[in-house]
This record gives sequence, C-alpha cells and structure tokens, in this order.
Amino acid sequence: MATTGEWKGNILFQLKRRNHKQSEPFQAIIQTNNRLQQQSSHLHSQNVHLQVEIERLKEENLSGQIRGEPGSGGHNTHALEQKLYKLQEELTELHKKRGENAQQIIDLNALLQEKERELQNKDNQLSDMLANNLSLKQEQKNLQQSMTELEATNQMLTDEHQALQMVFTALEEKHRKLNDDYREILDRWLKYKAQEADDINEQNKQFFKHRQEKLQKELQEAANDKVQIDLPDAEGFTPGVCLSVTIPTRAHNVFDAHSGEVYSVQWNNTGSLFATGGADRKINLWRNIGGSCETKGVLLGSNAGITSVEFSQDDSQIVGASNDFACRVWAIGTQRLQLTLTGHSGKVLSAKFLGDSKVVSGSYDRTLKVWDLNSRSCSKTIFAGSSCNDLVTLHGTSIISGHFDKRVRFWDTRGADTSINEILLEGRLTSLCLAPDRTQLLCCLKEIGLKVIDLRMNQVSHTLTADGFKVGCDWSRAVFSPDAQYAAGGSSDGSVYVWNLNKSRVERVLKEHSHTVVACAWNPSGTSLVSCEKGKKVVLWSDY
Amino acid sequence: MINFRSLWFQVNITRGGRLTMADDREILREIWEGKVPVCFQLAQEEVYTGEQPDPFFLLVPRLSYFPLVTDKVLRHMMKHVDPEHHGEMWLEFDGQPLKWHYPIGVLFDLYGMSTDLPWKLTVHFQNFPEEELLRCSSKEVVQSHFISVVKEADALKHRGQVINSMQKKDHSTLWAGFMNDKFDQFWSVNKRLMENSGEKAFMFVPFRIYRADQIPVQKLFKPCADSGESLTLRHLLKTAVPELMETDALISSRVLIQGIEPPLDTPVCWLSEHLSYPDNFLHICLMPRVEVES
Repeated sequence: MATTGEWKGNILFQLKRRNHKQSEPFQAIIQTNNRLQQQSSHLHSQNVHLQVEIERLKEENLSGQIRGEPGSGGHNTHALEQKLYKLQEELTELHKKRGENAQQIIDLNALLQEKERELQNKDNQLSDMLANNLSLKQEQKNLQQSMTELEATNQMLTDEHQALQMVFTALEEKHRKLNDDYREILDRWLKYKAQEADDINEQNKQFFKHRQEKLQKELQEAANDKVQIDLPDAEGFTPGVCLSVTIPTRAHNVFDAHSGEVYSVQWNNTGSLFATGGADRKINLWRNIGGSCETKGVLLGSNAGITSVEFSQDDSQIVGASNDFACRVWAIGTQRLQLTLTGHSGKVLSAKFLGDSKVVSGSYDRTLKVWDLNSRSCSKTIFAGSSCNDLVTLHGTSIISGHFDKRVRFWDTRGADTSINEILLEGRLTSLCLAPDRTQLLCCLKEIGLKVIDLRMNQVSHTLTADGFKVGCDWSRAVFSPDAQYAAGGSSDGSVYVWNLNKSRVERVLKEHSHTVVACAWNPSGTSLVSCEKGKKVVLWSDY
Repeated sequence: MINFRSLWFQVNITRGGRLTMADDREILREIWEGKVPVCFQLAQEEVYTGEQPDPFFLLVPRLSYFPLVTDKVLRHMMKHVDPEHHGEMWLEFDGQPLKWHYPIGVLFDLYGMSTDLPWKLTVHFQNFPEEELLRCSSKEVVQSHFISVVKEADALKHRGQVINSMQKKDHSTLWAGFMNDKFDQFWSVNKRLMENSGEKAFMFVPFRIYRADQIPVQKLFKPCADSGESLTLRHLLKTAVPELMETDALISSRVLIQGIEPPLDTPVCWLSEHLSYPDNFLHICLMPRVEVES
C-alpha cells in the first residue's frame, strides 16, 4: 500500500508540477494578451473611425474658415492677402472673359463671312432675277404684239364670217327657192309619169288585144288549113325522154344572152326551154327554134347576179339563187316573181327544188336552208360548217351538198341536223350533178377535175381529167349526159370537154368560147348541149 | 484559482493515502486540467498583407485536438493571407507537420517538451503536406475519429462489449463532455468504459508507444500475468520495445505519459484507468534523455 501510495504520490506530484510549470504561469499572461489583442483591435477600429471624423471636421473647419474670414478683417496683411486673392480671382475671371470674347469675335467673324456669302448669293440671285425679268418683259412685249396681231386677224375673220353669213343667208334663200322649184318639177314629173303609165297600159291593152286578134286570126287560119304534122316539127317539144345521146360536134348557135357574165344555164324537163342566169340580175328564157334561139321572156326581181337556176318538176316554176343572199321563185306561165326567200347571211350559190313544195338553198354563210313554199318561210336551217358551192336533192327528202372544205355531205331533212355521211375529196367542190338513175354523182373539183362517185359504194368510181382542162371558177358546173354515159365540163381556156365514162377518157373537145366556160347543160333528149361563159355568150351545140 | 488548487493539493498531502479514491479523482482532475501554452505564428512566406500579423497566444488543453481549438487562430490569420490561394489550415513545428489526429498532449510531449514555453507553432494555409497529414474538413471528422479510437480501445479491453451496449445518446454525451470541457459529464460515460472488475476486467491494455521519426508501436499486452500478479510499466516496455530494455538505453530515455515520467513499477492497469487520454488509449512517448532541469 505504501508503495502504491509512493508511486501514486509521485505521479500526482509530477502532474501538479507539470501544470504548475506549463499552464499556470501562462494562464494570466495569455488571458491578458487575448484581452489586449481584443482591445487593440477594438481601439484600432475606433481609431480609424476617429480618423475619418477628423478628416470630416477638418474639411468642415476649412469651409468654416473661408466663411468666417471676413469677420477677422482686422489683420492688415490678411485683408490684403484676401484682397489680392480676390483680385487674382477677378483677374482670372477677366482672362476667362477675354477668352470668351475672343471666341465670340471668332464666332462673329465666321457669322459675318457667312452673311457675306449669303449676300453674294442674294446678289447673284438678284441679277438672275433681273435678267429673267428683262426676258419676261421682252416676252410680254412679244406676246402683246402677237395678241394685237391675233386681234387684227380675229377682226378680219369676224368680218369674213359676217360676209360669209350674209352669203349663207342669200344662198339659203336661193336653196329654198330651188327646193320649191324642185318640188314643183317633181310634181309635174310624177304627173307625166302617171300619164306615161296610163299610156303604156293602154298600149299593152292594145297589144294584147292585137295579139289576141292575131292569134284568133291565126287559129282561124290554122283551123282552116289542113296541115300534115310531121315529126321533125315536134322535135323541140318532145318530153324529156332520151332515146339516144349524141355528142355535139359543132356550135349550132352562138349568141349574146346577157349584158354581162353568164353564170348558169339549165334546161327545163321537157327540153323545150332553157334558162340562163347572169350577172345582169336577170334570168332569160330561151327557146331553140330552127337554127336560132329566141327569147321567151325575162324574169326580173333579183338585186344581184343569178348564180343558179332550176326548173320545178312540172316546169311551172323556176327557182334562182342570187348573190343578194336571197332565193326567188318565178312562175313560168305569167313570168312573174312569186316568192323571195330571204334569211341567208351570205351569197346563195345554189337553190334546188326539194319535192313539190320545198326549196333547199346552199350559201356562203355555211348553212343550208330548207324553205316551205306554202308557208313561204324557212322550215329548217342546217349548219354545214363550210361554204356550200352546190347541192342536189334526192327522193324529195335527201340533200347532197358540195363544200369549200373538200367534203361532200349527205343530209336527211327528216332527221337530225347532223350529216348522215360525208366523203372527203382532194379539192374544193364547185358543182354536183346527179345521174338520172341516181346511182352516180358527178363532182367537179377545183384544180383537180371531175370525179364520179358511186353512191351505192360511196366511193370514187371514175376520175376524169384532161390536159388543158382547168376548172375556171368556184361555181363551175359540170353535167352528166341524160344517159349518164358522158360528162361535160367547161374549162378556163374556153373549151368544153366531153368525157366518155366507160372509157374514162376525153371523147371530144368543143372550142368556140373565148372566155372561161362557167356552166353546161345537156338537153334531156340528149341531142344538144348548151354552155355559157364569163363573157356574154351562150353556145348551143349539136351534131347537126 | 491557482491558490485554491494548491490549497487543495496541500489538503490531500496532509491526508496521506487515506482517501485513495479522492486521490485518483484528483489525478484525473489534474490530467483533465492539463494545458499547454501555444504561440501561433503565420508562416513568413504566406503573409499576403504588408505587415506580419501579431502572434496569437492560446492555452490549449492537452487532451483536446488542434482542430477543436484553433477557430480563433484561423479567424485571426485569415485576414492576412491571399484570399485567392489558401487551402486548409495546417500546423508545423520546427519543420515537422503536426498530425491533428494525435491529442495535443502527445504532440507536445513528442516535439515540444524540450523547447521554451510557450510552444511556437507555425500556421500554414498553402502547400498542404498530403503525404504526412490527413485532411480535416470539419469537427465531425474529429468526432468520428475520436469515437473510432474509443471503440478500438474497448475492443481491446472488453472485446467491444461495453461500447456496443451503449446507445447513440451515450456516445453523444461522451463527445459533448469532452468537447465542452465538462469533466463530470464525460466521466459519467467514461467510467463504464474504464470498468475493470469481475468479468469486465481488461483483456488487454490499449496503448501506443511513440518515438520521434518512427511508426508508433502497438501490441497486445495483458495487464496481469498468468500468475495473477499485476504487471507494471516496466513489463509493458519490455514486451513492446524489447530492444530498449536489453541495453541500458532505457537509462538514456524518458518515458513520458501525459507530460510526466511515471515510475516504472506503476501497475499498467492503474495507468490505463487513470492516465489514458479520453480516447481510452495510453499514449506513451519515448524521448531521448536530454539534460534538462527536472
């Protein structure tokens, strides 16, 4: 236990000494040190604070001194110093002012220069204006002068006008007088005309009477004479039955049919008459008696050239197409115009009877029109699409038309307005001719020649051409012979070519015309051929 | 305070060995009160502002660790270093970086025992010696280090039974008592760790022997011989550092515990119970004996 106490005491002692040596002496010092350090830092910050305060106060003091200086003016030197300072300040101010003034002078100088420049500008402008003014004055003078001139002219013109006015009044007076005279003369002329008409009527009456008497006398004479009737006398009046066709060999008769171009020629159905239409707006009826052709009448009423003529089935009427856009129907018996069918808006190139009471016409207005002769109006208009140069009718209902666009179109008037069929050929169609047996169609093509279409096949069966044969115009008409063995067509060289269809070659060339041959027509009896030309001539050909 | 303490000392002396417990407690108290005066100075080359800052003086407890007491120093020195380039603060004495995870008393016994007081330490903020020191980012790191050492000590003493039977709250109380210099609060928990009777007797004594420039020595050492005889400090040294005992090197060495040289025949058990640091380890420093005034 004692040993235990010994080492324990030793340890305790050592510990106490340790603490006594190591910590106790320093405790107070370090505490003081720490406190002092703290104080020091505190004082330091306070010091800084005070420094700032001092600075502030110093500044305040300085300003206060400056303010408070005058109060202590008792000190001489100080006052003088003050004064000096003030003067210095004043001097500085004056210097500053001088500088400002100098600057002002410079500014003003600049301003002055600018003003001078402006002045110069104004001067220039002024001189310009003066010059301008001068020129304007000159101009004004000129204008005044011209004005006086114009006034003088005006005066003169006014005078002239007055003079003319006077002349005009005089002339007007004269005109009125003349008008009166004219009316008087017209009245007188009308009176004369009426008288003349009466006279003509009287004469006509006289003429008819005379003719009737003559006829009566002749009839009487005829009744008295016993005449042996022989066949040759009745030749011209045989009905259109063809016994045999002979190709004409010579010009039987040549005569002037119209006063201008002859456009068309057509025989009637019996072959006793033929009609010609011409540019002189007339249709002439002719009869071949013996060696010469006699006129049987003139059908008037058209306002332009006749382009086509055709007789009705019973030969009682004739239809003519005209360049005045109309078709007309005349009665053969009275030779009077019966109907005028208007409605086309172009030249009518062809008009044909369609059955008993209808007419169909083809025009340059690219339509075909069907006319009802009983109601005297257009019953149907067919829009064909191209100018129609010629057409033929078939069975009273069908129409075949030849067009400018090289097509032959087939129509049925009972059905729709569209074409039933069409055939395209190589050239413009100028005419169509239907063979009597209605199986073949002769087409005349410009610049090509003649083509024969077989209507049962709708095909070209023959092509007829010849050296020198040239279709003369857009309405040149070529025809079949009555037995459809031959075809005849006029050429621009004045010849009439006759082709043999069986041989498909030219049978004969007839030369007599001196102008382009326009149309031909074969006598239904087959013994003669008539042709017309662009001159006035019509030639009747026969073989005897 | 000093007067009172010396008075108390005298009283104990007069009473003799009669009040053993009171003596033991007084020793514990003296150890608890142990402090070292330290003078902190900023390293010359790290002064950023024009003038060298004033040195900072502190009386630091021997049982504590540096990171727990240097807050004021850090605040004082920070004003004078380059704000752009400064890292964690570390301390150096005479070219030797100081390990923060050793108690301050150990560091002082090891390096500062032979210098004049106060102990002059140099404060660094740059060139952290990564090779020698551990980083210490906060006080929680110190706490976890402390608790882990306590656990190690208990593992040696009681196979870790005592520390493991404690609650989290007890650990906190232990740490708080240590941190806040509350002797009674600390010992209310620590006495359970120091239990050394019956089946709670120490298995081994947790100790470490430090020598300058050498790795600390730590070995298993039973406080009592198989014969039941309690072993002394001499036995311990013979077991742990036999080379020291064979020669008469022991004569030329000082065996320092808590800054004192306890007699070599002091029982190891008592040493462990009373002279251990709060981490329950007996930190023994072996120093070459220099002729100093004893």
